[in-house]
Amino acid sequence: MGNKGKRRAVAALRVIILAFFLLFVILPIYWMAITSFKPHAEIINTQQVTYFPKTFTLENYKELFEIFNYGDFLKNSIILSVLTAVAVTILSVFGGYALARYRFRGKTAMLLFFLVTQMVPGILVIIPLYTAYAKMGLIADAPHLGLWIFYVITNLPFCVITMRSFFERIPYSLEEAAMVDGCSRMKSLRKIVLPVMFPGIVAVFVFAFIGAWNELIAGIIFTSEPSAWTIPVGLKSLIGKNNVKWGAMMAGGMLALLPTAIMFMVVQKYVVEGLTAGSVKE
Amino acid sequence: MREGMKRAAAWVMAGVLAAGLLTGCQKEGGENSSAGEKSQETVSLRFLDTSPSDVRQAYFEDVFARIEEDLGIEITYESTPLEDAANKIMVMATSNSMPDIVTTQDNWLGQFTASEWILPLDEYLEGKEGQFADTVTKIVWANQKEMYGHIYTVPDGMMVKGIYIRKDWCEKAGIDLESLKDWDYDQYFEVIEKLTNADEKQYGMTYRGTRGAFDVMMVYLQGFTGGRTYDEEGNCLLNSDECLDAFEKFTGMYKEGYAPEESINWGFVEMVDNFCGGLTGTLNNDSEVVVSVQNSMEDDQWTVLPIPKSTKDGKIYNTVNAPYSYTISKDCENQEAAWKVIEYLSQPENNIEYCKQVGMIPVMKEVGDDPLYGEDGVYAAFVEQLNNPDMVVPTGYGPFDSTDLQQGPLYQEIQKYLLDEQDAKTALDNICGMLEERMKTYLDENEGAVVDTPKTMQ
Amino acid sequence: MVQNRKKEPIIVKRNQNYRKRMMEPYALLMPVLVLLLVVFAVPLINSFIMAFQKYRLGSPDIGFNGLDNFRKLFADDDLGLILKNTVIYVICSVAGQFVLGLTLALALWKKFKGRGIYQSVVFLPWAFSAFVVGLMFRWSFNGEYGVVNDLLMKLGVIKENIAWLGTPGYSLFVIILAMIWIGVPFFAIMILAALQSIPEDIYEAASIDGAGAVKKFFRITVPYIKPTIIMTLLLRTIWILNSFDLIVVITNGGPANYSMTLPAYMYTRAFSGYDFGFASAIGVILMTALMVYTLIFLKVTNYEEGM
Repeated sequence: MGNKGKRRAVAALRVIILAFFLLFVILPIYWMAITSFKPHAEIINTQQVTYFPKTFTLENYKELFEIFNYGDFLKNSIILSVLTAVAVTILSVFGGYALARYRFRGKTAMLLFFLVTQMVPGILVIIPLYTAYAKMGLIADAPHLGLWIFYVITNLPFCVITMRSFFERIPYSLEEAAMVDGCSRMKSLRKIVLPVMFPGIVAVFVFAFIGAWNELIAGIIFTSEPSAWTIPVGLKSLIGKNNVKWGAMMAGGMLALLPTAIMFMVVQKYVVEGLTAGSVKE
Repeated sequence: MREGMKRAAAWVMAGVLAAGLLTGCQKEGGENSSAGEKSQETVSLRFLDTSPSDVRQAYFEDVFARIEEDLGIEITYESTPLEDAANKIMVMATSNSMPDIVTTQDNWLGQFTASEWILPLDEYLEGKEGQFADTVTKIVWANQKEMYGHIYTVPDGMMVKGIYIRKDWCEKAGIDLESLKDWDYDQYFEVIEKLTNADEKQYGMTYRGTRGAFDVMMVYLQGFTGGRTYDEEGNCLLNSDECLDAFEKFTGMYKEGYAPEESINWGFVEMVDNFCGGLTGTLNNDSEVVVSVQNSMEDDQWTVLPIPKSTKDGKIYNTVNAPYSYTISKDCENQEAAWKVIEYLSQPENNIEYCKQVGMIPVMKEVGDDPLYGEDGVYAAFVEQLNNPDMVVPTGYGPFDSTDLQQGPLYQEIQKYLLDEQDAKTALDNICGMLEERMKTYLDENEGAVVDTPKTMQ
Repeated sequence: MVQNRKKEPIIVKRNQNYRKRMMEPYALLMPVLVLLLVVFAVPLINSFIMAFQKYRLGSPDIGFNGLDNFRKLFADDDLGLILKNTVIYVICSVAGQFVLGLTLALALWKKFKGRGIYQSVVFLPWAFSAFVVGLMFRWSFNGEYGVVNDLLMKLGVIKENIAWLGTPGYSLFVIILAMIWIGVPFFAIMILAALQSIPEDIYEAASIDGAGAVKKFFRITVPYIKPTIIMTLLLRTIWILNSFDLIVVITNGGPANYSMTLPAYMYTRAFSGYDFGFASAIGVILMTALMVYTLIFLKVTNYEEGM
């Protein structure tokens, strides 16, 4: 009896917690969403707060595409983020595997170095990189290449460390068994470990993707022509000296959410479905 | 193992290639030709606009198309979010990859000229100065020569400040706007008080509390120093007893609730939004704002008054500047072409078209009498000030780079006073102390440098 | 069983080309290491040199000036306030993100109908650009017409408008709230992933032994997700401390430095004023502090045994 009551209390608590988080997340997003459907005058009206657009308009979205090249921003951001995520994921698999499965000289130093890179002020990293890049004469012709390199490098340390922790959760015995069966280390990694690791790989992919997706400062420095801008740079340019294009800004923010939202929906089941679903038979 | 590495390498290469291809493809329309075949006919230049907006971009792209046709110069329009513009230029300048033409803000000139990031334009302008309006020759360029030794910019358009005011509120409060055409600061403060009705969320003043807070106040204080910031030796004049009184009066508007409590933390953007949104009744701002206000308010709701006269000497102290002047950067390889472009942009018909779109006052004498800038136009209050023999353009912070002061200490000292953490005298003394130290260091380090003086159109 | 996971395999089969084996980890890490060294070594070394230099961008007068840059920092009357803000900001943001993230992860642990959709929604804040979130918070917390005041008034929580961004204390609170809002999903995802990797049979075995839920949580769950928590906490602390975009957008450190943190100060004062020497000095202090923190944190949490 007592147990049953307790279980019910836990279930109720869980519902409350879940509801709280939903509200916590939804309220600001709701606010942005309805703002994106309001005309400018209603948005900046200081006398009355409207919780639903009095005049419903799609003008902000139209403006975004017709006047502000949002299509370009979207394309640039998607290409850059996907390529960043691909490169980071591949490099992290090797790095993470090495850190998880080997004991070797300089490992601690290496990990500390990874952490130190996270502490260097961004602008100090951008300047020499940009200078080198300018010397190669690539700024005008391939701004995204430089940005891509920057994104890959800045996302690597965290992703390698994360990948390592995913590898560590997979029992070595699994790999050993394969190697005993005559597989080479690489083959066992590819055939046995990686499939089991898939959720971890997906997670790292998402981390790197979002890292590139939301980056602002390097985007501003590396891209100059409006057609080369990424979404954050394009949105930031909606802040003028004297006014903010609130409607277009919020519309842009909402649209920027779509690709990530779709990605979340597709991949979330891998990330949380259990990293080691079929692999724990030790 | 080796196989794996190879595969990884292949992936990375594929990635590089893909990125390269994609970025390459994008440029196909414009830039490929510039890199590949730099033929004799087409010269390519880069133009950086530091204040992006749809209006500006459309104007420039249109005029650049005409330039390509007329002069055979192909120009790439580049831009950057306003707040990050200075940082971007800093990185570009240190990497020797500045665009050929850069639109430069006045308060950057200290740094830009000291670092030689932009080139003097005196030679190009020789004999042509007379084509420019007096505001340019007698104020902007006179200032530059005095402070930096050369002319560095060609103004895009002129901005002066005015007081935007709610007509409808004034009617309700029984304020006769006609009688205020010649007002002074005391009348201004009176109007602010009358327009305030906090219960109905109406405040008389749009107080600016953060970045640039002291800029506005300084002009008021200079009404008591004849428009000067420093004396000849570099001593700051702004903390005299008269100035202290003025300082207290000005901040009193905030302290006594004639401005929203939160405006202690407001910058540019909030000011205009709040005036347009109906929270505040007056707004001290540049002519540039006309366009924004027009877009969000009815014509019978607002008008513009001149900046109030000094209660001490009856003169109007008001800043005049060209916000995004054209400059040629140190990294420009074809300066002749860059100059041709600037000349083209400054042609009277282009200049007035530009000014109309972005809310500025033309800089070329030949623009003629456009009704927009006439007695009944929306810019009347601004143009009249420029024609007023009693208008004086006070001095600024000085020829040195003062960005770091503007970014923090200057307005923070005022904020501390507004929060009652220090008294007015301490705040003002601290501000003057910082400025004085900078100015004197500058005078010591630069032989022959003199303290700049207020300018008039006369 | 739990300990098993930590076991580091040592390659013992020496007959199999032992030397090649020894080189393997280096070869695997090589691309990462080379990239990081190429990009980070120069700025890292540079910032340590510039910290002791008079180094104003564009000024020809560059040279060593000993500890002047550090003195300049310590001469600022507001340094105490800024450090206090920095500590409050980091601790509250990290703790808030962690506690809420852990709670959310635990609530999401067991399957329920619609969990997929629910997750996709709650994780969304993480996908926003910081400055867009910052702008939205600044504007929602506007003291005169912000939606937050309006809502609180309608709910009867407050009777008078609060000038959130203009009041010392409150302005920092808004920044922390925005920071937590963005960061909770990240913690939740990391912890949830770790939770999911705990084998079911361990719990079954513990249940048979008669262990209660609380006991199971502390005996099994916590040790299992501990490494993840440690690393995530550490990386987030570094990241949160260094990130200033929310601060710059929401309050720009105001009013009167009441929401200014040291990295935001470095960015708005030193870099914007082209004073790279001063900026580097602050950077060096930050890096040193973070390094010390990292080492102590790893020691205290016994993480380094795995490193």
